[in-house]
Formats: sequence, C-alpha cells, structure tokens
Amino acid sequence: MALLEVENLNIGYRTRKGYLQAVAGVSFSLEEGKSLGFVGESGCGKTTIGMALMGLLPPNGMVTKGRILFEGQDLLTLSDSEMRSIRWKRIAMIFQAAMNAMNPVHRVEDQVAEAILAHDPDLGKSDAKKQVEGLFQLVGIPEARMRDYPHQYSGGMKQRAIIAMALACHPKLIIADEPTTALDVIVQDQILKETRKLQREFGISMIFISHDISIVADVCHDIGIMYAGQLVEYGSREEVFQSPCHPYTRALISSYPTLTGKKSRLTPISGETPNLINPPSGCRFCDRCPGAKTSCKTDPPAWEEVGPRHRALCQDFR
Amino acid sequence: MEDKTKPILELENLSKVYRTKRALFGDSGSDVIALNRISFKIFEGEIFGLVGESGSGKTTAGRLIVKLEKPAEGKIYLENADITGFKGKALRDFRRKVQMIFQDPYQSLNPQLSVLNTVSEPLTVHKIGNGKARQELVRQAMKSVGLSPPDDYLHRYPHQLSGGQRQRVAIARAMVLNPRFVVADEPTSMLDASISAQIFNILSEMREKLDLTILFITHSLAAARYLCDRIAVIYRGHLMEMGPAEEVIRNPKHPYTQALIDALPKFGDCGDVKHYGTLRRADSEAPEGAGCPFYPRCKVAHRTKCGTGMPRLEEISDSHLVACYYTMPGDETIPEGDACFYAT
Repeated sequence: MALLEVENLNIGYRTRKGYLQAVAGVSFSLEEGKSLGFVGESGCGKTTIGMALMGLLPPNGMVTKGRILFEGQDLLTLSDSEMRSIRWKRIAMIFQAAMNAMNPVHRVEDQVAEAILAHDPDLGKSDAKKQVEGLFQLVGIPEARMRDYPHQYSGGMKQRAIIAMALACHPKLIIADEPTTALDVIVQDQILKETRKLQREFGISMIFISHDISIVADVCHDIGIMYAGQLVEYGSREEVFQSPCHPYTRALISSYPTLTGKKSRLTPISGETPNLINPPSGCRFCDRCPGAKTSCKTDPPAWEEVGPRHRALCQDFR
Repeated sequence: MEDKTKPILELENLSKVYRTKRALFGDSGSDVIALNRISFKIFEGEIFGLVGESGSGKTTAGRLIVKLEKPAEGKIYLENADITGFKGKALRDFRRKVQMIFQDPYQSLNPQLSVLNTVSEPLTVHKIGNGKARQELVRQAMKSVGLSPPDDYLHRYPHQLSGGQRQRVAIARAMVLNPRFVVADEPTSMLDASISAQIFNILSEMREKLDLTILFITHSLAAARYLCDRIAVIYRGHLMEMGPAEEVIRNPKHPYTQALIDALPKFGDCGDVKHYGTLRRADSEAPEGAGCPFYPRCKVAHRTKCGTGMPRLEEISDSHLVACYYTMPGDETIPEGDACFYAT
C-alpha cells in the first residue's frame, strides 16, 4: 500500500471577491521511500496542497472534497489533537523562506530541541540536546555553531538547521516547499545532495514543491505538473521530461533556458492564468494553448493514459 | 559582437568599499570590499552578462555604473568620458543615456502612480515634449514591451498588474528616454519561468531594434548563455573569468566557474556531462585577504601561491580571460548533447 494516497482533493479559499478554488480534483499517490515533485508557477496551488497535507490551511481555506490517506488513515477526518500527534512526528515540513522560519531571539539549538521535546515530553533536556547534536552532524552544521542565534547563520546554514528540525522526530514523510529558492547554486547543490542522502538513509518519502523544473527533475522519482489548481500531467521524471504530453508541460519546458544543446529562441507562454474565482468550465489552459479546439473551451478535459503510470489531462496533445 | 573596436562603457580598476557600522559595544566596524579592482569593457550593441552569486558584487557594479553610488577607487568611462565627476548638464545628459531596470518590480514601481505617470515621469524630468507628445512616446514604449493596446494599461496602477506586466512597465520606463545603455539587474528573478522568457525576448529585441547596449546582471548561467554575447563571472568582488558566453560555459577555465557549472541541477539527455570537482569543503584556516577569494574552497589551489597572491586576469585564448594560477586544461568540453534542464 502506498504511504500516501490523495484522492480527488478539492481546496478552496473564501476571499472578499468570492470563493476561490485553489486546488481542483488532484489525485496522486506516494510510495514509501520515494519522492514526488510538484512543479508549477505561482498561484497554481502547489503550496496549498502541502499545507493541506500538514493540516495547516489558513482559517479561510478548507478542503471541500476528497481524501488524504496517510498510512491508510484519512487525515481529513482527524480531530485537531489527533492531527497534532501526526504533524511533525509522522509528517514534517520544510517551509518556504527558511530565512524567516526561525525565531530570532532563541538559539538555534534550543529551537530544534523544543521541537523534539514537544513531541516527546518524557525526554530530558540534555537528552534532547544530544539528539540535536546528532542531527546537526547529519546536516553538516559544525558543533561550535549550535549555540548561535539564527542571524549568525548564513542562508545555507539556516536551511540546514530547518532540515535538521524537520528530521527531528523521524518522520515518514517530509514536505519541502521551495527548499532552496533563496539560495545560491553551490549551496543549493549541497543542500539537495544532503537531502537525497538523508532520504535514502532513512527511507523517508518526500514531496518537493518548486517552481523550478530543474530542481525537481534532479531529485524526484515522480513529477506532477500543476496548472491553475489542477494536476495536468503526472508520471516518472523520465516520462514527463523526455516525452511531455500536456501542452502546458511542453510550454513550460521550452520556456527554460538551458546550458547545453542548441540555443533556440525561448517561447514564452502568452496570456495569463485564468481567474480561479470563476474558473473556466473547459480546459483551464485552453486560452494559452497553441493547439486548442473549440470543444476545449466548453468541455472539461479528461485524463489520457499515456503509459502505465504516465497520464495527462488532455486528450488532444497528439 | 564582431565589432570590437568601439567600447561604449569601460570600467578601470573599479573598487567599492562598504563600511559596516560600528557596534555599540565590541567591534569597531569593518570594511567590506564589495568590488575589488574590476576592469572590463562593454562594446557597443552587445549584451554583456555579469554572473555571480549573492554577495559577489554584481549589483554593486550595476549601481556604480548608473551612478547610484560612488566608487571608492577607479574610473568609469561612458563613450570615453569619465562619469565619476559628472555634474549639472553633463550629469543630466548621462542620466538620460543610461537607465536601469531593477530586480523587483513589486518594489521598483510607485504604487501611487498610474502606468501613464510612471512611464512618462522620466520625460517630465528631462523636459521632453509636451503632454501630447509624451503620451505618444509612452504609447510607443508600452507597445515595444508588449503591453498593447497601451490604452488598456495606461490608467492602471501597479497593484492591478501581474508581476510580468509590472516588470514590462519598468522596462518601458527605462526605454522611454531612448537610452544608449541599460543596466538590467536580475530583471526576472522574481518572475515565473514562462514570464521570464518573455522578458528575455523583449530585452533581446530591444537590442536589435534600438541599437542598445545592455549589462545583464544575473545569477543564472543558463539565462546568461541565452541572452548574452559575452559574460564575466564575478566572485566576492573579483572578476574570475570573462569571455564569449558559449565559450565560458562550454569550456570554463576557472575552478570557480567549473564549480558553478558542477552545482547546477542536471537532468535529461545531457550525454556525459563533465564533472570538474573543483570544490572542496571550505578550509576555515585559510588566510583571508591577500589571496584568491576562491582559495579556501578550491581543490586545485596551491597553498602558498594562491593563499597569498591574487592572480591577474589574463588572456588564455581569443578574448577568453581567466584569473587563476592554475588554469585547468580544458580540452574536454561539455558535450553537445540534447538540451537538458539546468537551474535558472
């Protein structure tokens, strides 16, 4: 059985302008020890999915439909206190903007120890500190820096500390939301390598959320491409990147500059993402799709099975 | 660019030092050398890429060139005139010729000005044309950045625009004066990939059509490869390597450039991408200051030589310059292969 199974997830936000459907009909599953990457541009709903998995949607957000089965248990039926016992212990998250995810007035060491103690109150303070030491070693922070405050850390070190914090309670699943966005390439490379190593070592499953296809392509087994709240293509990274099917996936890939290969003109995606307060009834990408037919505008798109595990939310891509 | 005879901008031993504030207790403040004796020329009509990580001094160089800051040392020449002493009319002319596009379009536009007022403000400042002529110039500038029909946008405010539209307004504002030289400081780092491609294409069209020279500041080698004729790689205020974009990326000579290329996430049918492996865990005991800034992390470095002396930027092949005592042999280049995905 898969570690995580998400079925037909629908999430909306109440806003002043009306009800906004941020995630519509998203289904996927994640095996133990595997990693899955969600790629999409800002506003496509990828962070919302991560927050829903953690049970941390803001007060105006709600899951309207669907199931989130984690180890066979539907997280959406759990009470707040039940969810609290799963959060961080079983599912941890590496938040976007790690720079600001730490409390500036507490020592880094104490903050990580606090996470451990909160979930294991019987543990003594000194034992917790010992664990922190081990964690910091794991992520490559020198012992001498443990008692520093966050502002004394560089961006890369803060990110490492955040990863240590996510690992603190030995979770089964880690959700990493743009874990390296604000970092330089060399530091990013180190962090990604570190993450992969830890993931293999401990058999942790991971969900990567990023706007950068190259990062996700580098670290994930499976890829989900998201557009305007929908999953539009899903498959192994080889399938998705070597034979992209959905027009949006293709457009996204060809808008990236590359370091090798022929230097061809980049093709930007013209137009804009649809308004999700009144989403179009047909395909959400059809206004920007070079191959759109009139029926695309009115009929909701259906999934096309391209391979045993590769599917695309478009039946006309051929 | 083929025509290398005519440099439009020239930096000569340019340095910039920032003084950190003296702490109330304890340390007495220290100097941060943001740029250390940088020299390069940018030729007319080219797009020159300045590539570096955060804190490398790339933005500082851009700000010095547009005279937002004063250099500590060194000279900047625009069309053979030293700009450091410009005052009065010379300064006003300079400001008209040289424009800047900033990184963050969410902060570089005044939220209280409509698009029309934003884009026409430079015209007002420089007293160009009357109301009607100005509107016409604004319309043209808007069309050239793909905001058309302009009338749909003229009376909107920044909060009514998407990130990509804002950045295009910022570009229109820079272009409305018909400048000769534009500094584009990471103009796409806040934008999504599909929108970034739009901005790249706009810049490259501007260069073609308007005979413009662009300094493109970026952290992304892939973006630099796409857009630039030549690139310079900068690290901790030092120029490490400079040359034709394709050459520097396919055949990097400086261990730092090689480490940068190693670090980019790779996937796809790249063939066997060469791994240079020039990066090592930072040596915290390495002496600071005198030597090569990359020395503490460089695998190739020689302790006494690289630790104590900064190598000069020297030409190793046609217009390819490297500042390293141990320029790596580079007979192996990144294979042609199909395009694979790299970080932007």
